[in-house]
Amino acid sequence: MNEFQDIDALLASTSADRTPLPTAAERRQLRDELGLSRAQVARALGVSPSTLAGWEAGRDPGGEIREKYAYFLRQAQEKLRSRTTPAANTGDPLLSSPVPAAAAVDDQTELPEAQPCVLCGQPAGHQVAGYPQHLDPAECGTTAAVPKPVRPQKSALREELRRPAPAGQQRRAGRGVKVVPVGRRVQAASDTPDLIGAAVAAVLAEHAGDVEAATAALVKRAIPDAMALLDHTRKGGRYDVIAHPWLPDILRKQTARGADQIWEARPKWTRPQLPAGRHEVTALDINGAYLSALKTHLPIGQLEHSTGNQHDRRRAGVHLITPPAWDHDAVLPNPVGNRDEPGPLWVTEPTLRLMLRLSGPKYALCDPPEIHESWTSGATESLLEKFRTALKDARDRAITDNDEVTLEYVKAMYSKFVSTLGESNYNRELYRTDWMHLIRSQAFANLWWKAHRAYDEGLMVVRAMGTDELHVTGDWRAVFPEGRGVTEVKVKDVYTVGTNQHPAPEPPDSPS
Amino acid sequence: MPERNIEFGKYGARGIKGYEAVARQLDALAGYIATPITARRGLQARLHYLTRTPHARAAARAAGLTVTDRTLRAWAAGTRTPSRKNLAAIERAYRTVRRENVARYLAARLNRDGRGTRVEIHPLNQSQVSRPRQRPVEFRALNVRRWDRIVAAWAAGDDQELDAAWVDLVVDLGSQWGQYEYVTNVGFAA
Repeated sequence: MNEFQDIDALLASTSADRTPLPTAAERRQLRDELGLSRAQVARALGVSPSTLAGWEAGRDPGGEIREKYAYFLRQAQEKLRSRTTPAANTGDPLLSSPVPAAAAVDDQTELPEAQPCVLCGQPAGHQVAGYPQHLDPAECGTTAAVPKPVRPQKSALREELRRPAPAGQQRRAGRGVKVVPVGRRVQAASDTPDLIGAAVAAVLAEHAGDVEAATAALVKRAIPDAMALLDHTRKGGRYDVIAHPWLPDILRKQTARGADQIWEARPKWTRPQLPAGRHEVTALDINGAYLSALKTHLPIGQLEHSTGNQHDRRRAGVHLITPPAWDHDAVLPNPVGNRDEPGPLWVTEPTLRLMLRLSGPKYALCDPPEIHESWTSGATESLLEKFRTALKDARDRAITDNDEVTLEYVKAMYSKFVSTLGESNYNRELYRTDWMHLIRSQAFANLWWKAHRAYDEGLMVVRAMGTDELHVTGDWRAVFPEGRGVTEVKVKDVYTVGTNQHPAPEPPDSPS
Repeated sequence: MPERNIEFGKYGARGIKGYEAVARQLDALAGYIATPITARRGLQARLHYLTRTPHARAAARAAGLTVTDRTLRAWAAGTRTPSRKNLAAIERAYRTVRRENVARYLAARLNRDGRGTRVEIHPLNQSQVSRPRQRPVEFRALNVRRWDRIVAAWAAGDDQELDAAWVDLVVDLGSQWGQYEYVTNVGFAA
């Protein structure tokens, strides 16, 4: 009889009036605004992060857990509502840069769980020199929690009152003229010469509008043009581009056609096993992978040798490491790529930083790598930043204008720039083999993070290969926006694996 | 600051003479045959380069490859192999002829119609010098507009002349040019 009672109770619990929930987008926004990670909320609710990701992507929870989730969302709304009132008078200039930039770069780490920020009291996901705090001043919310020096705050408040509107509203209200420093004066950004646009216009005029001939001509001159653009974007820069430094032997080719000793950690990974059943796999293509990878920590000057197991975040270069064991090969690619040979290997800065981050307390996916030797130099992330931005802007403009000539030209510029950075005879103006390896590795590390994100959001990663190819199953549109921009992905191929009749899966990469 | 170092390396500084670095870079730009002469392929390629035309034969003879045509034919056919001494002679003649042939075009590329080429000078290595004796020596770059004298000296293999030509340019760095007499690397593109 007892069994029937259980059934009755179960039926009673699934009543028709299910608790209404906010829409999927609102659910995610609520959690984001509270600064909570998916893992934290999932732990509190007693579900897996991927389940939560599904709810935020449009699936609906049922039963008891629905009540809990509804309660969380209600409370989150309440909390946010109460927070908006004091948050109106933020923008305190003293608060907005609480830590000197150098220190912030130096020893910030991600926290496994959010802790109250020492400045505003709200949960923060990072710590700087042991103090949990927000890295982005915009996130650092209220003025209430911590006692602060009185006088500067007062003057700041007075200044605040004198201002006609809060900063956020001002930003929304009037679009000013964007200016850039040129020599001693400033100049409107629209007046600066547009090298890419001018080159395209000139070549199109020369070929009387013949698109194919113009594209071919532009692709042919892409390398010198990229170098000219680089020189142009470095004007007034803090660091000179050093083009011909002395390079250590590990960066030199052993023979004329051989390779040097650097391992770039190119991913070439296929999930060993898929669950039984039929799977629709989507091959995604990351747009402009090398273009995005131009933003990486690049060594400025000549590489200097050092030994010992420590990593200096202000320097970049190549490192001889013993990679840690990787136990997650069934679901995620090894960050060091598929290397068959055991023992120490020379990896680049992006690969090392990826492994150090994964070994940190937030991810704890592997042990930290052991560094034996390093060839490094003082590094900056902004060396190619203007160059990258110029190319990205031209690319975006070409996409909105449907301008295939400029698109091909920009693509040739950045891809050939990366491939001829080293000892290439096609570009003798820059002999930075180290940069070439670092930029490529950065592209591979970016792909690894995309794979991790897919995994974290509950998709199944099937393959990660080359520079920009990711095969996933599941609702990937909820995770990656589709499009042609550099932050978006495009579909390369869709294929199915496995059959419903036979549970044994086919080889994973046979399209049917 | 002495302009010429007297006892370079006494306190552990390491580097090569500026003109040596320039000659290395010019050699790299000239692009010799990659296969070594000890390999059959490399020997054949060099012999072919030195005997392809009557002009090349004359140049090889002038560069010191004084063997009979019969010997050259036998080497090329593989019926005889050159002795170690002759291999060195072939290599020397090949490099000389190649430099002479390339010099005109290399100088023109470096001069770039008078616009010149940017030259990077990477300072000497002081990592083995004790801390109190280390001096701040910075990375420098200068634009060299006239390359004819340097390239001619390099093509002729005249080290003294190349040194003199290079020092005449380095003087433009200012009163501290003596710090750049020895360098780790001199970089430029052609």
